[in-house]
Amino acid sequence: MRQGGSSKSSFPLAPTRSFAGLLFVLAAIWYAASSQNNAASYLLLFALMSVFLVSIPRTLLNLGGLQATAESIKPAFAGQEVSLPVEVTNESRATRYGIALTLPDLGDAGEHIDEIPAGKAARTVLRFPAATRGEHQIGRLHLTSVYPLGFLQVLKQLSTPQRYVVYPKPAGDQRLPAETARSGQRSSRRELGEGDDFAGVRAYVRGESQRHIDWKAVARGQALMTKQFTAESDGMLYLDLAAVQLDDLEARLSQLALWVIEAERARRPYGLRLPAAEIPPSLGESHLHGCLHALALFQ
Amino acid sequence: MKTLRRQDTRIPRRPLLWLAVALLFALPPMFGTLPSWVPLLFLIALTAKFWMQPKGYHLRSLFWKVVLVALILSLLFFSYGSLRGIEPGVSLIVMLTSVKILEAHTAREFHIMIMVAWVLCLCGFFLSQNLAIALCLLIAFTLLLVALIQFHRGSSSAFWPPVRTAGKLLAQAAPLIVLLFLFFPRFSTGFRFQIASQRGSSTGFSDHLSPGSVSSLTNSSEVAFRAEFPDGKIPTLGAMYWRGVVMWHCEGLEWNAPKNPAALPKTSQSSLRSEGVRQWITIEAHDARWMFALDWPANWPSGARLAPGDYLWSDQPIHKARRYEVTSYPEIPNNQLHSGEREPLLQLPAAISPAARALVQSWTAGKAEPRAIVEKALEFFRAQGFLYSPSPGEYGKNGLDEFLFHRRLGFCEHYAASFATLMRLAGVPARVVTGYLGGEYNEIGHFFLVRQADAHAWCEVWFPDRGWQRVDPTAVVAPDRVNLGFSSFLERRAAAGQLDNTQGVLARKLARWPIFARARLGWQTLSYAWDTRVLSFDGDEQESFFTAIGIAGRGPIFFIVGSLLVAIALLALYTGWTHLRTRACGDRIKRIYESFCRKAARLGAPRNPSEGPLDFSRRAMRLLPNDSERIRSIAEAYIALRYAPASDPMTLEQFAKAVSAFVRAS
Repeated sequence: MRQGGSSKSSFPLAPTRSFAGLLFVLAAIWYAASSQNNAASYLLLFALMSVFLVSIPRTLLNLGGLQATAESIKPAFAGQEVSLPVEVTNESRATRYGIALTLPDLGDAGEHIDEIPAGKAARTVLRFPAATRGEHQIGRLHLTSVYPLGFLQVLKQLSTPQRYVVYPKPAGDQRLPAETARSGQRSSRRELGEGDDFAGVRAYVRGESQRHIDWKAVARGQALMTKQFTAESDGMLYLDLAAVQLDDLEARLSQLALWVIEAERARRPYGLRLPAAEIPPSLGESHLHGCLHALALFQ
Repeated sequence: MKTLRRQDTRIPRRPLLWLAVALLFALPPMFGTLPSWVPLLFLIALTAKFWMQPKGYHLRSLFWKVVLVALILSLLFFSYGSLRGIEPGVSLIVMLTSVKILEAHTAREFHIMIMVAWVLCLCGFFLSQNLAIALCLLIAFTLLLVALIQFHRGSSSAFWPPVRTAGKLLAQAAPLIVLLFLFFPRFSTGFRFQIASQRGSSTGFSDHLSPGSVSSLTNSSEVAFRAEFPDGKIPTLGAMYWRGVVMWHCEGLEWNAPKNPAALPKTSQSSLRSEGVRQWITIEAHDARWMFALDWPANWPSGARLAPGDYLWSDQPIHKARRYEVTSYPEIPNNQLHSGEREPLLQLPAAISPAARALVQSWTAGKAEPRAIVEKALEFFRAQGFLYSPSPGEYGKNGLDEFLFHRRLGFCEHYAASFATLMRLAGVPARVVTGYLGGEYNEIGHFFLVRQADAHAWCEVWFPDRGWQRVDPTAVVAPDRVNLGFSSFLERRAAAGQLDNTQGVLARKLARWPIFARARLGWQTLSYAWDTRVLSFDGDEQESFFTAIGIAGRGPIFFIVGSLLVAIALLALYTGWTHLRTRACGDRIKRIYESFCRKAARLGAPRNPSEGPLDFSRRAMRLLPNDSERIRSIAEAYIALRYAPASDPMTLEQFAKAVSAFVRAS
């Protein structure tokens, strides 16, 4: 999903740090020129002033016609980096130079794009740390530029409706529960889904993982079929928040996240039981992300 | 792509290269005016930087920085004796810049270096303001812009684009520069820091005449002043005696002028019988107070006085090029000698040899008239084998006798000094005048260029009936010097083989080529325009400019605010124009469709960013059942225009109309 940012208007020009330096140099030249009555120095003063003045419209217009679109963001674990792919399109008829992208709400993350020719686009990836678990909003995206002389900074503020999810940081030192929650007579039931034992084929549904497509059948000219496996569930592994013996909620969620990953790696079908929701046991990437997502959003 | 935190990154090589070249162009004014080790150390620091930068080295240790600065301060103190004054100050700035170059390695320090380089340009203008230096500093200034632009362009490595951008910036700034230069008020801050006098020795012209003092200037092509004759009345080259200083005190071959002459009262011009010659003279800075004018100035500019002896004397030392108007008359306006004045005009050194006395007695025998004595003296120079030479060699303590009776080889100062001394011996009041003779006419700019090499010395003798009259003994010995001008005189001598000046022959041959001659005249004209139009435009000139265009008498605030307002208005115009020129062209279809979407959103059917036009129209039709027909036709037209292989221009117009009618109808 791609979403375009909409721009907000606020006064776009601000002096940079080197502007103070410029003022100081101008004052020094003025003082020297007037105390010596030195026409050549006056000329230098006016040249510097005029070049600065002429650079204002250039800086001001350097972001004209620029549109930034943020693309969808992959979830990340807390403590890791979130990557936000951004495409900056130059819809104006002039090349734009020296554009910086920053996320003011998310620390000092930033990227530089040196040049975007007229009518072209450039892509870059903004990286910023995923601080806390949960679903967050990107908030503002700032396009800034100090081109050409660096004395003034022009700002274009875009708000991106983009949201991203941060999973709890997988951590904890408790072992993955070996004991499974058996529930009486259902003990011998075999779960269809992703497991180790081949159980037959069924018609392929778009969007499913291609890993289990029966490619040999395809080669024989048959339709796409998905191989089905069953996991030997000598019992179901239910990861229960209430069962984690820790005081801190975040630590418990972190422990659950670690277990989910470990179970997936061990290919033991696992389910998740939270006070408000329950995810039945299964295996696979989408199941993994579903569980982590639930952990991330847990209130 | 680079990370935003450039503060931590090294300065890219290319902007640094531009900065270095800019600094090289800021150097020329420093050679020759500062001790040569200053620009040399600067160059070494610059070279070292390019060796250090790729390796990531830079001057880190605070200890070494302190040591370096202390070393520089002591070196400067050692060579100047003090750290005050403009040259030690400039040297200090140059040396500290060198240290900064060695130390700088972050983006912020790059900006600081650019600022420092601008200050160095300023320093250059303090050391010298001639056109060549100004062009060098203009190049340096432009290259600094290029360095900044290249820095902000990041990694793009094309050579010309940043140069072009800098050129465009400068070209767009040019009208603003002119505007500010003309109208931005020049008020003096009152406090002047003193420029140490360093030019006195190089110009050579002085208030002291001794053997060799004028002939030492014959190789100096430095400009003394330029003169224009606004009324078109141009005297002949041989009569172009530019009066500088009058010397009264005689020491044989050495003469001295008073250090601080008094002022003569203004005389009324009605007492003058003949018409005057008006001159505009642009004098180069020489840090002394003499000013030049044709013989004999009677109408002088303010800020100067007419000293006894009828020469101009500035009230203030001339530290910068100055332009003034003066009118000269072919006679001295107040040509009388009072009884008390005659005595000092016959002052002579104590030691005059018997031979010289005998020589003079042979002229004065029989109560000869002053005029006859002058004639006899000139005849003596003409007939006794005296030779004129720019390099007559040294004269010792008994110079007068050695010159008159043995070597008989001299330059104008020898002839003028000895002639005036002999006249005083004979009881005729006489004085020595130093100045310039002739000049080079520039036919492009219509002005005379007078160089140091045109320096000359001559005499004035008092006649009871006619007053002070000019007598130039050099004219007797070398008439061509007077009539042709000094450089033509030398050329003729060289052609006749009388001068073994081989080094200048090639240059003179080249100079005779028409192209070079034109180029030289053109350069001189430009240089003259720079001096007269730009350098001499100070507060007073600005005031008279304001008077001329009728906006005089307003306070500086009016002009600051006014010129800045005009500048901002120009900028706003330019901004608008550029915006129109570069704004998003987009396609019209998309714009119209976007306006439709906005209207639909206002009616309660906002389009999701992910929704295609067909999906959106279906949903909008459900949400806005009243307009469903219109929405459908707009969506169909849009899809047809957007995705059909070739669309009909009529459809576009209908589509535009349909969209503009959309809200009005509903």
